[in-house]
Amino acid sequence: MLSTLTSIFIATASVQTAPPVVTPADFWLPIGASVQAHNVDLMFNIINYICYFFFVVVLAMMVWFVIKYRAKPGTRIRTDGMTHHTVLELSWSVIPLLICIAIFFFGFTGYVDLITPPKNSFDVNVTAFKWGWQFKYPNGAQSDNLVVPSNRPVRLVMRSNDVLHCCFIPAFRVKKDIVPGRYSTLWFQCDIPTGIEEKNGYHLFCTEYCGTGHSNMNRRVMVLPQAEFDEWLVKQAQWLDEIPDDELYFKAGPKIYARCQQCHSLDGTVGLGPSWQGVWTRLTSPGGARFSDGKSYADIIGPGKEYATPEDYIRDSIYNPGKHLVATYGNVMPTFKGQLTDRGVDSVIGMMKHLDEFDAKGAWTKTLPPAAAKTESKSEQK
Amino acid sequence: MTTIVTPRPELLDTSVRPDNYLTYTRGFLSWALTLDHKRIGVMYMSAVLASFFVGGVFALLLRTELLTPGRTIVSADTYNQFFTLHGAIMVFLVIIPSIPAALGNFILPIMLGAKDVAFPKLNLFSFYLWIGGALFTLYSLAAGGFDTGWTFYTPYSTTTTTGGVIPVLTGVFILGFSSIFTGLNFIVTVHKLRPPGMTWFRMPLFLWALYATAIIQVLATPVLAITVCLLIVERTMNIGIFNPSMGGDPVLYQHFFWFYSHPAVYIMIVPAMGIISEIISVHGHRQIFGYRFIAFSSIAIAMFSFIVWGHHMFVSGQSGLMNTIFSLISFSVAIPSAVKTFNWTMTLYKGTISLTAPMMYGLSFIFLFTIGGLTGIHLATLNTDVHLHDTYFVVAHFHYVMMGSALIGMIGGLHHWWPKMTGRMYNEKAAIAACIIIFIGFNVTFFTQFMLGSQGMPRRYYDYQPEFQIYHVISTIGAYIMACGFFLCAACFVQSLLGGKKAPANPWGGRSLEWQCTSPPPHDNFSSPPTVGNCYDFSMLRWDEKEQGYVVDKELEALAIAAEARGHS
Repeated sequence: MLSTLTSIFIATASVQTAPPVVTPADFWLPIGASVQAHNVDLMFNIINYICYFFFVVVLAMMVWFVIKYRAKPGTRIRTDGMTHHTVLELSWSVIPLLICIAIFFFGFTGYVDLITPPKNSFDVNVTAFKWGWQFKYPNGAQSDNLVVPSNRPVRLVMRSNDVLHCCFIPAFRVKKDIVPGRYSTLWFQCDIPTGIEEKNGYHLFCTEYCGTGHSNMNRRVMVLPQAEFDEWLVKQAQWLDEIPDDELYFKAGPKIYARCQQCHSLDGTVGLGPSWQGVWTRLTSPGGARFSDGKSYADIIGPGKEYATPEDYIRDSIYNPGKHLVATYGNVMPTFKGQLTDRGVDSVIGMMKHLDEFDAKGAWTKTLPPAAAKTESKSEQK
Repeated sequence: MTTIVTPRPELLDTSVRPDNYLTYTRGFLSWALTLDHKRIGVMYMSAVLASFFVGGVFALLLRTELLTPGRTIVSADTYNQFFTLHGAIMVFLVIIPSIPAALGNFILPIMLGAKDVAFPKLNLFSFYLWIGGALFTLYSLAAGGFDTGWTFYTPYSTTTTTGGVIPVLTGVFILGFSSIFTGLNFIVTVHKLRPPGMTWFRMPLFLWALYATAIIQVLATPVLAITVCLLIVERTMNIGIFNPSMGGDPVLYQHFFWFYSHPAVYIMIVPAMGIISEIISVHGHRQIFGYRFIAFSSIAIAMFSFIVWGHHMFVSGQSGLMNTIFSLISFSVAIPSAVKTFNWTMTLYKGTISLTAPMMYGLSFIFLFTIGGLTGIHLATLNTDVHLHDTYFVVAHFHYVMMGSALIGMIGGLHHWWPKMTGRMYNEKAAIAACIIIFIGFNVTFFTQFMLGSQGMPRRYYDYQPEFQIYHVISTIGAYIMACGFFLCAACFVQSLLGGKKAPANPWGGRSLEWQCTSPPPHDNFSSPPTVGNCYDFSMLRWDEKEQGYVVDKELEALAIAAEARGHS
C-alpha cells in the first residue's frame, strides 16, 4: 500500500520535470501529444494496474473456490465455513477506501493542471454550430481546421451558436463542453509540430450529441512552429482578398461550399436544407408558393419589394436564415453573420449562378474561367 | 388493507380449492383485474421481457449500422432515433421495472411471509400506469419519433423537430409514477407485513436490497417527474427554463436530470445485488458471508447515490470546486460495492457449490460487476475522466453495470425463481449453455468498447474514423453472439412452459420462505403460517438421489429449529 503510494508520488514528480515527447499509441491509449498527456496517461495506467490486481484477486478466488468446493452428486453439505469475520470485512472496506482517496488526490491535482491555462497563452476563438466549427484568430483570420503554434500554451475560448457541443482532442487528452449562452475554455500545449498537411493533424471531435451531423463535426488540429504559424496566420486572413474577383466563384466557392454541403446538395438530393440545384432559375422565374407562409419568390423579390435583387435575398438567407423558411424545411440553419464576409457571400452567389460548372460534390469541372462570369460577378460588388 | 383479513368463502371448502395462483380463477378479466401480487408480477415480467426484445432489436440494428463507417443500413437521423429508443426502452421500460416490479412483486411478499403487498389495488394501478407509459412511448414513434438521446439534454431536446418528444416525455412521467407506487408499496409491506419471527436481520438480503431500492424510487423519481414537466412546459409554451436563448440554463437541466438518473442507476443495480446474494448463498448451499455488511452496504449505496450525480458533469462547465467535491464523494460508492463483491466471493469459500444455471449467472455477475465497478474508478478520477468522458469507455462501463450486472442478475433471478413462478423446471444444460454464450458475447461486445473509448472514439456517433472499424466489427460480432444466447435462453423457457418437468416446492434447497410453499404458490401463498428461521442456514440439507439435488431433511430441520430456540432462550 505504502509502496504503491510512494511510487505514484515519485512517478508524478518525475514526470512533471521530464521533457515533453510524443508518446506513441499503445493498447489502451492513443498517441499523446500535449504536455498534459503524460500525467493523464500515468494516472490512467496506475488505475489500470490497480484494477488488474483486484480483478485477478477476485477472479482467482472465485475460480479456485468453485473448483475446490464444487458439489459432486451425493456430497454432504459443509457447515464449517465462517459466517462473518469483522477484521477481514473491515480491512476490505478500509484498504479500498485509502486507495480511493489516494487516487482521488492525484486525479484532483492532475485536473487542476489540466484546467488552469498559463498566463501567456495564445487565444483562439472557437464557434461550434450544427454541424461544424469556426476557428477565429486575433488578426481576423478564420479556419475550418484548428491550426496552432507549437511550444506555446493555446487557450480555446469557445461558444456555441445553437445547442450543446463538446470539444475533444484525444491526442491532447482535453475535453470541454460548449454551452450556448456562456463561454467555456480549454487549454493545451503541443511541442511537436505536425506541419500543415491535414492528414498529419490530430483529430478534433464533438462529443456532446447534437443531432444529424454530430459525427461529422470532426476536424483536424495542425501544429506549426511559431514562425511558420505566423506566416500561415497572415495568409489565412487574406486568402479571400488575394483571389481576383472573376475567379472568386470557382476558387473560393467550393471551399466555402464545403461548410454548406452537409445540408444543401447540388444534385437535387433532399437534405436538411433545400438543394441548390437550379436555384438561380427558380429565383428569377415567377413560380408558385415556395415559402411556408405561402409566399412565392415573386412576392418578396423584385424592385420595390423586400429584396430588390435575388442576390439580396441569398445574402439575407445566409445572415438571417430563419426569416423566410422554404416550405417543409425547419428553422435549423445557423447564421453565418460574422463568419462569412461579403466576398465570401459573393463567392457563394457566384457558384449558385454557375452550378453547371460543378460536379455533385462541388468540385469545379472546367479548366478555364469563362469570360461571361466577369460581368456578373462585377455587378455584385458593393 | 390487504387480502390477509378474510379468507374467501370458497377457500374454506376444500373440495373446490384450486391448487395454485395460476388456476385459482380463469378468464382474461381474472388476470386484468387481479389484485394478486403474483399475477401482477407475471404480467410485469411478460411486459418487461417484450420490451427487452424490442430494445434488443434496436441494439442489434445499431451494431449492424456501426459495422462500417458512414452509411451501412440506415441514415444518420434513423440511427439517432435507434440509439435514443434503445436507451429509453432499456432504461425506463426494462431495467428499472425488471427486478423490483416484476420479480420483486412476485417474490417480496412470499419471501417476507405475507399474503400480498400492503396495497394490492395500488399495485395493479402501478402496472396499468406502466402500460400507459409504454403506450405513450409507442405513440411517440407514430408521432415522428425522437432523437434526443435518452438523456433529453437541452436545448437540443426543446428545439429538435422530431414530433415524438412530448409523447415520450409524458410516457416517462407516467412510468415514474408507476415506479414510485411500487416503491411505496414495498416500503410499507416490509415495515408492516412481516409475520411474527421475521425480524429485520432475519430478512433475506434480496428484501434488504428491494427495501433500499424502494427508498430511492420514492425519493428520487419525483425529481424526474418535475424535470420532464419543465421540459414539456419549455417546449410547448416557450418558457425559458433550460434554453439560454430564452434566458434559461442548460446546465441546470443536467443537474435536475442526473439528480434522478444517478440514483436510478442504483434502482437498477441494487436489487440485482440482492438477487446475487440469494443465488450465491442458495446454490452454494452456504451461509452468506457477512450478512450485516451486505445488508448495510445496500442501504449505504442507496444513501450515497443521492450525492454523487455531479460526476456526470465533470466537463459540462460545472465549476472546478464542484467537480472536486463530486469526484471525492463518488469514490465513496466504491466501498460498499467492493464489500459486496468480496463477501460474495468469500461465500463460495467452504461452500457446497452446485453449478446450476442460476449459479452460472451469479458467477457471471461477479465477473462482470467487478469489471464494471473497477472501470468506474477511471471515470471518478478527475483527470482521466476528462479524456474518457462521453467516449465508448463510458458506454462500455455502464453496459457492464447496467446489462452485465443488473440485467444478468435479473435473468439469473428469473432462472432461480422460474420453477416457483411457473411450477416447471427447464432444461438445465441448455440454460447453462445459453448463459455461457451470453457471457462470451457480452465480453466480446463491450470489452472491445473500453479500448474503443480510451482510444478516443466518442459515443453516439453514426460515422467514425476508419482506424476504429476493427473494434466496431468485433463488437458487432459479439452482439450477434449475445443475441443467439438470449434466443437459446428464451427457447429454454418456452420449452419449459410447454413440456417442462413438474417443479418440486424446493428444487434448489433454498431456505427462505418462498421455498416453503408449493410451486407454483397457492393464491394466498401459504396454507399455514410459515415458520421463520435463519434463511441462510443450510445445515439441514441432504443430497436426494431421486431429485438429483439438495432437499431439506425434516429431521435435521426440526433439530436445527430446536437448537435455535435453545439459543434464543
